Amino acid sequence: MGREVGIVGVGQTHHARRRTDVSQAGLVREAVDRALADANLSMDDIDTVVIATGPVLFAAVNQPEKWVVDAIGAQGKSVVRLTSGGGAGFAGALAGYYQVAGGYSDRTLVVAYDKLSEGQLQYSISTLYDPFWGREFAVGIMGFSAAYWRARMDVLGHTEEAAAMVAAKNRNNALKNPYAHQKKAVTVEDVLASKPLCWPIKLLDVPPISDGAAAIVLASDKVAHHSTTRPAWIRGMAYCCEADNAPERSLMLSEPLAIASRQVYRAAGITNPRRQFDVVEVQEPYSCFELNYYESLGLCPPGQAADLVASGATQVDGDIPVNPSGGCMGANPIGAVGVIRLIEAATQVMGRNETHQIKDAKLALVQSGGGWANLRGCAVLSA
Amino acid sequence: MGLSKVAVLASAQTELRPAWRDAQHIDLISSVVANVFKGTGLTLDDVDFVIDSGSDVLDGRSISNCGFLGALGAHHKEEARVEEDGLWGALYGVNKIRSGASSIGLIVAYSKPSESDIDLYWSAMVEPFYQRPVGFGQKAALGIQAQRYLAAHGITDEALAAIVAKRWADAAANGKVAIDTLPDAAAVLAGDEAAWPLTDLMISRPLDGAVAVLICNEDVARRTGRPPVFITGMGTSLETHNFADRSINRLDSVAAATRMALGKAGWDKAAAEVVETSGSSVVGELLALEGLGLAATGRGAEIALDPAVNASGGALPADPIMATGLVRLAEAAKRLSTPVAAGAKAPATALVHGTGGVAMQTNCVFTLEV
Amino acid sequence: MFYAPETAPIDLPTFKSTISLPYTLTPGKSAGTFLAEMPNRRIVGTRFADGAVIAPGQDFSPVDGEEPVALVQAPETGELTAFTRTGGVVLGLVRLDGCRNAFVHKILADIYTLAVGQRVAARWSTSEQGTSITAIEGFVPAPDAPVGNVLPLDTPAEPLGVINYAMALHYDHAYGPYYGRMFDEIRQNGVVMGVRGSNADEALLPPREIDDITHKRTGTWKACADTGTIRACSLINMEVYGQTRPVPYAYAEIVLDGASTKMIHIIEIDDLETAKQTIKPGTRVRAVWTQGERKGAVSDIERFEVIGE
Repeated sequence: MGREVGIVGVGQTHHARRRTDVSQAGLVREAVDRALADANLSMDDIDTVVIATGPVLFAAVNQPEKWVVDAIGAQGKSVVRLTSGGGAGFAGALAGYYQVAGGYSDRTLVVAYDKLSEGQLQYSISTLYDPFWGREFAVGIMGFSAAYWRARMDVLGHTEEAAAMVAAKNRNNALKNPYAHQKKAVTVEDVLASKPLCWPIKLLDVPPISDGAAAIVLASDKVAHHSTTRPAWIRGMAYCCEADNAPERSLMLSEPLAIASRQVYRAAGITNPRRQFDVVEVQEPYSCFELNYYESLGLCPPGQAADLVASGATQVDGDIPVNPSGGCMGANPIGAVGVIRLIEAATQVMGRNETHQIKDAKLALVQSGGGWANLRGCAVLSA
Repeated sequence: MGLSKVAVLASAQTELRPAWRDAQHIDLISSVVANVFKGTGLTLDDVDFVIDSGSDVLDGRSISNCGFLGALGAHHKEEARVEEDGLWGALYGVNKIRSGASSIGLIVAYSKPSESDIDLYWSAMVEPFYQRPVGFGQKAALGIQAQRYLAAHGITDEALAAIVAKRWADAAANGKVAIDTLPDAAAVLAGDEAAWPLTDLMISRPLDGAVAVLICNEDVARRTGRPPVFITGMGTSLETHNFADRSINRLDSVAAATRMALGKAGWDKAAAEVVETSGSSVVGELLALEGLGLAATGRGAEIALDPAVNASGGALPADPIMATGLVRLAEAAKRLSTPVAAGAKAPATALVHGTGGVAMQTNCVFTLEV
Repeated sequence: MFYAPETAPIDLPTFKSTISLPYTLTPGKSAGTFLAEMPNRRIVGTRFADGAVIAPGQDFSPVDGEEPVALVQAPETGELTAFTRTGGVVLGLVRLDGCRNAFVHKILADIYTLAVGQRVAARWSTSEQGTSITAIEGFVPAPDAPVGNVLPLDTPAEPLGVINYAMALHYDHAYGPYYGRMFDEIRQNGVVMGVRGSNADEALLPPREIDDITHKRTGTWKACADTGTIRACSLINMEVYGQTRPVPYAYAEIVLDGASTKMIHIIEIDDLETAKQTIKPGTRVRAVWTQGERKGAVSDIERFEVIGE
């Protein structure tokens, strides 16, 4: 088998609606400096680098790693870029994980970013659609996401209130997150009363548009101790997909996430996720997605996500806190979010989360994904 | 460490054409994915993961892998998009198998530059404040690279043209590249100026096409009954974005990638019986041969005509951007696994090179052994 | 495609698609100052801790990523270190006096008169007064130009926070045999045709040779009805760049009768509250075809409408 891999250093920018003081490359530098400092390393100690971003159209630079490399002082190193829409950061971390696990490197820096203030977000995302078949009707993936949430509500008898509870929970959690920029206390009623954008998705179900970067240093068990006495070990990690235009695609559950979680749970020895995990971080580009994930990740039985959120179990003080960081509702620099979720979960099991440290957290679950909700993955981190 | 060995099991390519006007991306992709299993005894069901290389900018779609997952055979599998030449996708796949997490992976790379404006693909790659507004891009960078190389080493246009003509002839003989008229050296010299001193044919020709490569661990490879071709070393290196700050007349990143690959393979020098390179121009190809350690600085032309080098024709007559390096891997592996006539010596080692970025900013090197 | 066609036609019609959008790019401090100083006709460089100066200025050393310690004013003279010509335009690398690096710009001279190492000087544009590097029109040979000096940058302009930028990408997408037939049928006959799935009677839309799910060959062609059932829908009430319809309207994924996969389209609505009740998963809809000449595109169906009881 391969080698054990740990997260030994983390860093993220203070995310913002628009950073006009740094270029895309400068934004990346900030996160990298913080992650290297956190890992007690310099770029000289890094064997390989993985850069991840959302689609090129977000920021008008094709293959941006080739520009960004100068800003992080990684000239000459093994550098490769992964991209996978919203899941880009997570996909990049997975590529980095295998570089270390497969013996290609001892220390790999993974940095992910998007500077969404620079482009036209929804239009860029709409170009995900087939130019021949439906692109002209796309509204990013918000129209699509709302449509499948509506279908779930109809079948399961869920109400808009369930997602509003997710939005309120995450927004209120983000109040204490030093890296978040969307900080406003909201109630479930506020969410329900906010303007419908793509109904049933309403304004407060939608995360902010953000500029931000996030970086982690991955290390093999052999060298991890140089950086920290308490790495966050990656016990399992997978990222799966499904063809979008499939006859049987119901989106009641996320099939690729269910497949990924089965694979990851087997690797990590998870048999009862609700009881075993101390904390969960998920990428909820719209609040409704978090409900789907509860079920797809096995935190509750299929169809019972509304009950789970209503029970308060996923609140910070519940038995299975989800997004104590505030998730995407505090900041949503899309390509970076997968790495941000990994950072928030890693610092939980390292015992040094800056927003809401869950007491004695030992085992954390991370979810991320992108595309038309058809690229989905998860990871298990442990102390 | 006991990390497992990884083999190239099989490959499939479409013909590489100036324009596949009668086929979509998914047609090219699904064709190579369907064909790659022929003769292996395996099916798509046996594949653990798919890694694909393509370009959103060339494809005219964001997250273009998302729309092609079915054609890629990736449905309900692990999938990753490396937005770089497919040789980097193979690098990812090898790591995944070496970690022990998976045993069989499918690496796919494709592009249809005929559908887009190739100059915009390149100009969108340079930074937008200083370089794009003055018209800098791939051609200008390759022209400057060539001007310096020719001036420093006294290489003539005629010598370059002879190399280009041989590549086209070899590609025609290899039979996988659409060629209307085979250019001789005179035709190469007489071509339009791409970027002085390079003529059009001295720059790699963008073509449409797709390639799939099946890789697997040693156990699977030994069971298929063919002599396995093992990937024994890999390395990659990305240089500074600022073209003017790169070493003159050297591709440091090829040399760095080669050092990494040879180190992992345990080779003390870059001597291989099969060499497949991806030059973005004929001068780029010479610089790559020198960076690989196969020729001294300025002496690339002396081995460029060696029969071991780019017997497939290489990248000059056929550059399916994003797939070119993976085609080189497929070609080299095929050479190592093809039986030779009685009495002839079969080649046992190969060096494979892929490139990306303006004026070959990033480079990747694999060593193969049977 | 299992059996590649013998011929390689290259003059088939293509589907034209353009992706065109505006950007607001942030250059960062050094480039932002450089661009802000273009109207002042000053060339801004950056000095690093080891004393090296590069121009144009960069926030990070292209060699090792180090951050500069000061902005400086670079001279307008230097030497040509390399050159080429592409599309009739001569581009060269210019190292300004006192600087470590070279950078690319236009060289305003006949390429055959140029030599590496020759002296050049910036020529300021008479037409470009804005904050672009093209305020320097290019560099001209200046054999007698004295060697300039790097100077401190007195009272630098505020760096630009954003610059407006536009990118337009044009595509000629091939239809391929399957989309080609589908759109031909739509244009000529007003019929939406798919191909049967590899193991089903229902048609896949859009059609293709290989079934996305089974990766086996798809079946025969089949005409679908222009009526169908909504699988999923949402009510669009938000204006975004590039939108083609006024809000509100419904985004709908519709499974046509006879098909198994979705067609994406829109349904017109009067108001949100009514539409929440009348347009939902399971609602039956029919295509409203264009009154004009069909072009062979999804837009030949203008919209879908709910089939009344």
